[in-house]
Amino acid sequence: MKAASKKRGFGWEMRHNGTLYIMCVPALLLLLLFAYLPMGGIYMAFTKFNVVDGVFGSPFVGLQNFSYFFSGNPYAVNAIKNTLIINFWGIILGTVLPVSLAIFMNEMKTGLFKKVAQSAMFFPYFLSWVVVGAILYGFLTSSFRMDRRTGELIVTGANGVVNRLLMGLGQQPIRWYAEPVYWKPIIIMLDVWKWAGYNSIIYMAAMAGFDGSLYEAATIDGASRFQQIMHLTIPMLKPNIVILVLMSIGRIFFGDMGMIWGVVGQNSAVLDAVTVIDTYVYTSMRTMGFGFSTAIGLCQSVMGLILIVLANWSAKKINDGEGLF
Amino acid sequence: MMKKTEHQHVSANHIRMSRNDQWVKILSYVIVGLFGLICLYPLLLTVTVSFTPESVIAADGYRLFPREWTLDTYIYIFAHSGTRILRSYGVTILVTVVGTLGAMLVTCMISYAISLPEMRYRNVVAFICNFTSIFSAGLVPWYVVCVNWYNLRDSIFALIIPAMFSVWNMFLMRTYFKAISISLYDAAKIDGAGHWMIFFRIALPLSKTALLTVGMMYALSFWNDWWHALMFISERNLYPLQYYLYSIVSNVNAISSGRVPSGAAASIRLPAETVKMAVTIITIGPIIFLYPFVQRYFVQGIMMGAVKE
Repeated sequence: MKAASKKRGFGWEMRHNGTLYIMCVPALLLLLLFAYLPMGGIYMAFTKFNVVDGVFGSPFVGLQNFSYFFSGNPYAVNAIKNTLIINFWGIILGTVLPVSLAIFMNEMKTGLFKKVAQSAMFFPYFLSWVVVGAILYGFLTSSFRMDRRTGELIVTGANGVVNRLLMGLGQQPIRWYAEPVYWKPIIIMLDVWKWAGYNSIIYMAAMAGFDGSLYEAATIDGASRFQQIMHLTIPMLKPNIVILVLMSIGRIFFGDMGMIWGVVGQNSAVLDAVTVIDTYVYTSMRTMGFGFSTAIGLCQSVMGLILIVLANWSAKKINDGEGLF
Repeated sequence: MMKKTEHQHVSANHIRMSRNDQWVKILSYVIVGLFGLICLYPLLLTVTVSFTPESVIAADGYRLFPREWTLDTYIYIFAHSGTRILRSYGVTILVTVVGTLGAMLVTCMISYAISLPEMRYRNVVAFICNFTSIFSAGLVPWYVVCVNWYNLRDSIFALIIPAMFSVWNMFLMRTYFKAISISLYDAAKIDGAGHWMIFFRIALPLSKTALLTVGMMYALSFWNDWWHALMFISERNLYPLQYYLYSIVSNVNAISSGRVPSGAAASIRLPAETVKMAVTIITIGPIIFLYPFVQRYFVQGIMMGAVKE
C-alpha cells in the first residue's frame, strides 16, 4: 500500500483526499493574510516609505534604515539593553521558581491544602496584563508630601500596600510611579509571578511520568528525600528544563509589549527604563516612519530565527536527539 | 500516572521518616503556601477595596480588611458610566463568543486533517503553520497590511479575525485527534461516510474534553485581549472591556507619576481609587466565577502540550 501511494502523484492525492485539504483552507488563509502577506511588507525596510506611494512605490534607499539603526541610536540601544536584561532575569528566575515549586508540590500529600495552593498559583495566568497593572496600582500607589519647613511626612490620600508597609516600618514611602529605577525589577517579578504556576504545571506533568520504582529503590538504599530530589528528580527534569530554557533563549530579543504597556501604560516617567524592542518599534512607527521601524522589526525577526534554530540544534545535542520542533 | 506518585508516597510512609525528610516536607508546605498567598492576596485585596467606601481608602490606604463595607462604588459605576461599561461588556462577549466558535471550527478542521496519516502532504501543511511561529514579518508590515489592505481600523473584525487561529492550539488539538483509533474511521468509511461526516459525527463527539480545553484557551485569549484594540480601535463604542480598563489605568498611572502638568491633570477626571478596582473586578468577574470549573481543563491542556509526541 505504501509503495503504491508513493507512485501516485499530486493529482491523485487531490482527487482522493481533496476534502482534507479543503478543511485546511480557512486556517491557511488566515496564515496567508496575517503572517505570509505581511512578509512582503518587509520590503518597506529598504525604502523611505510614504503612504501615498505605498509599499512598493516608495523610493528605494538600500540599507540606510539599517545603518541608522546600527550606528548607535541611543534609544534603540536602550531598548535592546532593556529587552536583554528583562529576559535574562526572566529566564533565570522563571526557571528556578517553577522548578522549585513543582518539586515542593511533589513532596506534599494530595489534599485540600495542595489543591487550593495550586489553584491560587495558577490563577495569575488567567489575568490580562491590564488587570495585573490595575491590581499592582493598589500596591504601589502613593500620595504624600513633605512639609517644606519641618521635612515632616504628610499623608494626603490613599497609599498602597507597599508604602503603608514602609511607613509602618518607619521608612520613607516611595513615589513608585515616578521612580524609573524600580521598574525593571518590578516587571521581572511580575513576569515570573504570572507564569510560575503555569510553568510548574509543565514540570509536574513531567514528574508524573517518572518511574516510581527508582524512588523506592533509593528509599530502600537509605537515601533521604533531599538526596532523592538532588540525584533523581532534578536530573530527570533536565530535558524539560533544557527545552523550556532554550525556547526562551530563542525569544530573548522579543519583549512582551502587552506586559510593558499593560503594566506601565503611557507613564512617560518610567517608560524609558522598561522600553523593549517591541514597544520601541511601535512608538518609532509613529515618530521615525514605517521604513525604519520595519528595519528594526526585521533585525529582531532574523535574530530570533537564528537563535531558535541554534536553540533547536543545541537542544538536540544536549537531549540526545529531542529538539524543540 | 497519578497512581505512581501515590504509590510513591505510600512506600515512603512505610519507612520511618528521618528528621531530614521531615524538614523537606515542612519547607515544601511553607514555600508553596507562601507563594500561593502571594498569588491570592492581590486578588482578595482588589475585591475588598472595590467594596470599601472611598473616604475610608483615603484615610487608611489600601487594606485587606477595611473598617466599613459598601456597595456604593458599583452603584456609582452603573449609574454614571453604566452604558459605557455595558457596551464594552457587549463588545467583549460578542468577540469572545464569535471568535471562539470561529477559531474552534478553523482549528479543528485543520487539526483533524493533519492528524490523519493518509493525508500525504500533512507535514507540508504542518510546516507552513510552524514556520509562522519561528519567523514573522514583524509588527509594522502586519499593521500596514491590516490597516491599508484589509481596512481593519475601527472594525469589530479587527478584534476577531487576526486572533482566530493559533498554531499552538492546532498542534494541541492534533495530539488529541491522533489519540482516536483509526479503525473507528475505517469502519465509518466502509459504511460510506466521507471525511466531513467522520469529522462531525466521530472525531468531534469523541473529543469533548479536548474541545473544552482548546475552546477555553481561545475564549480566555479573546476575553483578555486588549492589544488588538490598542492597535486598531479608537472608536469608544468598540472598546472591549480590557481596553476600557486600560484607558482608565494608564491615565491614572501617568497622573500619579506627577509628570503630567497640573493643568492637564486637572482636565482629566481622575477616577476614584475604588472605581478602578471595581472595574477590574467587573472585568475579571466571569473568570473568577468560572475558574473553579474550568481550571482542570487548562491544566490538562498544558500537560498535553508539555508531553512531546
